[in-house]
Amino acid sequence: MSELKRILSISIPLILICIISGATLALSFDLTKERIREVEERKITESLASIFPDASFRKTGEYYTVLVNGEEIGYAFLAEGQGYSGTIKTMVGLYQNGTLSHIYVVSQLETPGLGTRIIEPEFTNQFSGKRIEDLRLRREGGLIDSITGATISSRAITEIVRTRAEVIRNET
Amino acid sequence: MKLDELTKGVFKYNPVFYLVLGLCPLLAVSTRVDNALGMSLGVLFVLVGSNVIISVIKQWIPPEVRIPCFIVVIASFVTIVDLFMHGYAPELHARLGIYVPLIVVNCIIFARAEAFASKNPVSHSLLDGIGMGIGFMFAIVGIASVREVLSTGKMTIFGYTLIPQFTQSPAMVMLLPPGAFLTIASIMALINYKKTMKKEKE
Repeated sequence: MSELKRILSISIPLILICIISGATLALSFDLTKERIREVEERKITESLASIFPDASFRKTGEYYTVLVNGEEIGYAFLAEGQGYSGTIKTMVGLYQNGTLSHIYVVSQLETPGLGTRIIEPEFTNQFSGKRIEDLRLRREGGLIDSITGATISSRAITEIVRTRAEVIRNET
Repeated sequence: MKLDELTKGVFKYNPVFYLVLGLCPLLAVSTRVDNALGMSLGVLFVLVGSNVIISVIKQWIPPEVRIPCFIVVIASFVTIVDLFMHGYAPELHARLGIYVPLIVVNCIIFARAEAFASKNPVSHSLLDGIGMGIGFMFAIVGIASVREVLSTGKMTIFGYTLIPQFTQSPAMVMLLPPGAFLTIASIMALINYKKTMKKEKE
């Protein structure tokens, strides 16, 4: 009996603390839920607008069909994969003829100042107008120049975009 | 004297330079001044919150499970910071990434809960939390200023340029972990040199 009492006297305070914490977290989750959803949605809309300005989008399964004046001109989709450190997530725009319109990096955790340069226009603009097959680093027979000092990050994002673009092309 | 509880964390027992705690976020987030500021505000909030709560509930915490209790309290504050930062400072949240949730294991916070808040009255714990938080902020922002200026050749805080570009070939090594070690070591050497000189005078 005294053993049970001892166990209870230890566990009850911990259980109470957990319950109160849980309730507090539920409350803060509820308070921020709407706001976080908006932020995430805005990220997607912004990235869509930056790769296809003045177009409208229709969500079709895993990708967006891009419409200009009611006509389908291409597709937009998220490509995701492992970078040098952490996941790289990027929005990709693909015209119906199989060339890329633009890419826009949504999130990445590369080395600041080196790998993070994959988000800069000097690098991402290279993808515009390229065919999917040419999305390889130049040293690997493609047409993408890697960033000095960040070959792994450059290769990672190029591969991520190409693999996903191939999948989407086969689906459409 | 109560005010001591506040100032000791900033200078005499600075968590970074004297206690040498919390070096993981210090290395990772001190590449840019605005990231460092955001990170240290998060740490300050968690530190003050957990210190106060733990000090309030300390008489009900059984010593056998005090560590799980502290962790639950700290983790709750960290999750609150993470959620609100995601909603209201999404850019900062995206840049700090995994280092926001990792505040949970920032040993400064845990050390202050265990060594101070669980033994001292609420008001002292509050001051201790503020002091240690500001001490951490001084340290990380100081290190970040050195690293940002040397590694990019300029300094911009939240879009405002404080120091315009002065070189086209900045020291890239300062961006990488070795740069953080070099900076921390140099600042510590300077502090210890000053201390030794002071002692010798006495």
